[in-house]
Amino acid sequence: MRQRVLTSLMVLAAVLASVLLVTLPVIGQAPATKAKKSAYKPPKLPWGDPDLQGLWPGTDLIEVPLQRDAKAGERVEVTEEEFAQRQAKAERTAENDRVAYVAKDSKVGINPPGYWLEHGRPQKITSLVVDPPNGRIPELTDLAKQKAAQAKQAKQGHGPNETWEDQSLYDRCITRGVMGSILPVIYNNGTQIVQGPGYVAIRYEMIHETKIIPLDGRPHPSSNVKSYMGDARGHWEGNTLVIETTNFLGDKNGIGLNGGGTPHSADMVLTEKWTRTSPDMMEYTATINDPKTWVRPWTVRMPLRLNPEFPLYEYACHEGNYAMFNMLKGARADEKAAEEAAKAGKK
Amino acid sequence: MPDGRPNLNGVWEYIGTANWDIQDHSPAPGPMWQLGAIGAIPAGQGVVEGNEIPYKPAALEQKKKNKANWPAEDPEAKCYMPGIPRATYMPFPFQIIQSNKDILMAYEYASANRLINMGKPIEAGSDTWMGTSNGHWEGDTLVVDVTGLNGLSWFDRAGNFASDKLHVVERYNRRSNDVMDYVATIDDPSVFTKPWKISLPLYKRAEKNAQILEFKCVEFAEELLYGKYKKQPTK
Repeated sequence: MRQRVLTSLMVLAAVLASVLLVTLPVIGQAPATKAKKSAYKPPKLPWGDPDLQGLWPGTDLIEVPLQRDAKAGERVEVTEEEFAQRQAKAERTAENDRVAYVAKDSKVGINPPGYWLEHGRPQKITSLVVDPPNGRIPELTDLAKQKAAQAKQAKQGHGPNETWEDQSLYDRCITRGVMGSILPVIYNNGTQIVQGPGYVAIRYEMIHETKIIPLDGRPHPSSNVKSYMGDARGHWEGNTLVIETTNFLGDKNGIGLNGGGTPHSADMVLTEKWTRTSPDMMEYTATINDPKTWVRPWTVRMPLRLNPEFPLYEYACHEGNYAMFNMLKGARADEKAAEEAAKAGKK
Repeated sequence: MPDGRPNLNGVWEYIGTANWDIQDHSPAPGPMWQLGAIGAIPAGQGVVEGNEIPYKPAALEQKKKNKANWPAEDPEAKCYMPGIPRATYMPFPFQIIQSNKDILMAYEYASANRLINMGKPIEAGSDTWMGTSNGHWEGDTLVVDVTGLNGLSWFDRAGNFASDKLHVVERYNRRSNDVMDYVATIDDPSVFTKPWKISLPLYKRAEKNAQILEFKCVEFAEELLYGKYKKQPTK
């Protein structure tokens, strides 16, 4: 049930995001895809590494679309007027969240009340993708288009609930993938950094991932060791943590929210940079370089705000995946009913 | 560590058969003859101090039922998070990231992890698989008090279990560079007549490139869990 609610909410969130885009035509701002060099010097850990520790949830950015509305062109920020509109909208949402649990004339449905969803803070940025300069995910390669067409064809005449494999890796509670685990979604956006000598570990709340990043310069394992989250290696460039992740399972997760979107290949190289820009802000960028899937590399940027009060929960997704049982059982029950109805009709 | 505390950082793993059965046990055939000797259950000396687990009579019956329903009912087979203490002695490594504040334990099995709060103790919220961990140092020993466990995990493949009243106190003491002593005191008045202890050594994985890898076992458990509900081919 949780999963089904969750899926419905994702659809809702996508609809809201697109509505937001349509109602907010964006005008005149210079592109600023490159982050300014930060003069801020973060505190140091006892063993000398910059201290990046803490909870850096992406919650503030929930309403920022991954890709920019094409109409906005290369404008990276909305105007003051549009920002005021976003603020007004956020206030309306907050107001709605305060209303009674069940509205008088509400119909029975499977979705929870709106205040179950987390909301972001109004942002000036027009998209999370900042490179290419139009804020759009680059075109797919011919190979990727071909694979997508094949995958679509393979699904023809199947589903939606013949087996668990008809559901996404997310709905199966396996993983949201390396980017899906950090891109902001409707809830459980906890991202927490813990550092030890020689290591940085990043915990992602939803579907409980831990990325452990050795800093000792050791090579990646051979390409025979593949995984959904990949194999991470890190180093410091000044006060910036640079993480290079390779050894992915290909054709599984996309780079979109919760691992959706066109799946990346096994050859993807993901380069993430974490830089503290003030006592409570982190500049995060991720550059996706996968020449088998996209015609050029592209970069996602997120300003993350430190939130020591953020409650990071154990997200026992698979353990509580009653929806999977129910969807499959329901589909079999429907089939049986149809079969019996057909028999009755013949008599 | 720079703060004078013992450094527990590293990739650790238990070597032994406790995950098969925390008590003394003889070798036995496995559940699948197709695997031959590969699937057989190895003999083992238990890790329970004094070997006996002080079950209440009804709980002992439940343990026997659990064992009879293995492997299908074992949460490990279902790829559910292993809980504490089982996560510690599964045949998978786990990594300790000891910071200047809290301590992270990341387990290879099922990507399970937990953060041990080293600050002011926090009260467990809702029950969870991995529990709520509050740690402190007693001399050179890391003592971790684990509450808020949901009691759905087992201790081993032999069906040993506890309830949501389970309270575990773990003690980690790095005896040498390569060995860390682990003692867990198990208390659950609804299942056991008195507290009892598990004690075992954890070994440091000494490979230069030691790391925990990804073991997302959901995919390996789906047929077991959902297989009977999938669409059967039409006759």
